[in-house]
Amino acid sequence: MTDYICHDFKTPRTDTARRLPSSFRFIPIVFYVAIAGSAYIMTMDYFNFQKAKKLKVEADERRTRIEGERDAFNNEFAELEAESKKAEGVAGWMEGARNIQPIVVKIARAVAAETRLGEVTLERGDEVAANLALGLKVSGVNASTEIMNIENALGQLQYRSFSPQQTKTEDAIEYHSTLVRSSQ
Amino acid sequence: MNPKQLACFVLMAFIGIILYIAQIVHQKVTAMRQEAEEADAAAATAETERSTAEIKTAVLKTDTEEIRRFLRAWLPSVEKIQTQQEAEQTIELSLREGGITLVRQRRSEPKASTVNKLIPRSVLTTLTIEEEYAKVLNWLGDIERRLPLARMKTVQVSGGSTARQLKLDVTFETPIFDLNAIAAAKPAAPEKKKS
Repeated sequence: MTDYICHDFKTPRTDTARRLPSSFRFIPIVFYVAIAGSAYIMTMDYFNFQKAKKLKVEADERRTRIEGERDAFNNEFAELEAESKKAEGVAGWMEGARNIQPIVVKIARAVAAETRLGEVTLERGDEVAANLALGLKVSGVNASTEIMNIENALGQLQYRSFSPQQTKTEDAIEYHSTLVRSSQ
Repeated sequence: MNPKQLACFVLMAFIGIILYIAQIVHQKVTAMRQEAEEADAAAATAETERSTAEIKTAVLKTDTEEIRRFLRAWLPSVEKIQTQQEAEQTIELSLREGGITLVRQRRSEPKASTVNKLIPRSVLTTLTIEEEYAKVLNWLGDIERRLPLARMKTVQVSGGSTARQLKLDVTFETPIFDLNAIAAAKPAAPEKKKS
């Protein structure tokens, strides 16, 4: 091997590729910064994601539980409402189904022995079933007094006569009135 | 493009990809946070609705306590008569036990109502009896006790064929309640959960 050849090898060679501009030296720095930054952000995001997921699951569970309780209350409300409507219906009917026998007995007992009670008629009103149309045929010397006695006796049962009408024929009286309960 | 430029390009592409992935991940996290907040708000809304429902129920319970107690007290009587036959049997039994032998007229006919859902059917009974004063009035009281829901529509008491006897013409309506006609309204369906 000769010196010439060795020397020839050490001869400086021109670059095969052109040098990049000096600003491009920041690219690797940016790369590392991006790697580090993204790793940090993604790590934090991962924890935040897990936390948000847990919160969401808890909130959903809470909502499901609360909605269950709310529906139970709504069901109870609907049942109470239905029961109240039934009760109002029954009460409405019962208002017009009060016993009549005590009225008849009271009328019969209010009349004195010497007075004749020809006929007692009690009819429920068509529009207001609680009201009773009373019809009496009383004959005797003290028929007018007996009518008053009957009205007083009915007052003890909390009935009062509304628009009473009397028709006198000799010693008999035909009496008509509407009995209305005082508590109405 | 020389290798250095290519390396720079690859590096910048990496940076872009990393930033893009980071952004997507961040968006997902933001979306999940949003969902969590919405779920929390929905839970708070449900809590408000629950409180409202609880208060409404408590108020209604208190307000209707008396009338519901009234219904509970009358429920056995309501359930006792559910057919026309039961009503007629009760009348028959009452007449027999009351010692009423002279029944001049007796007629029972069903009556239907489309207006009143609670009482879709009733039995209209017309009866004419003639007996002693005490027996007649006792029977009237007895039938009102046995059929407490029956509504006496007409009661006419007049003299009987003898001085000791009374003639009673009575027309009464025995309701056959259908309490199932009024069913509890279904509560509003809960809001659909956002996914």
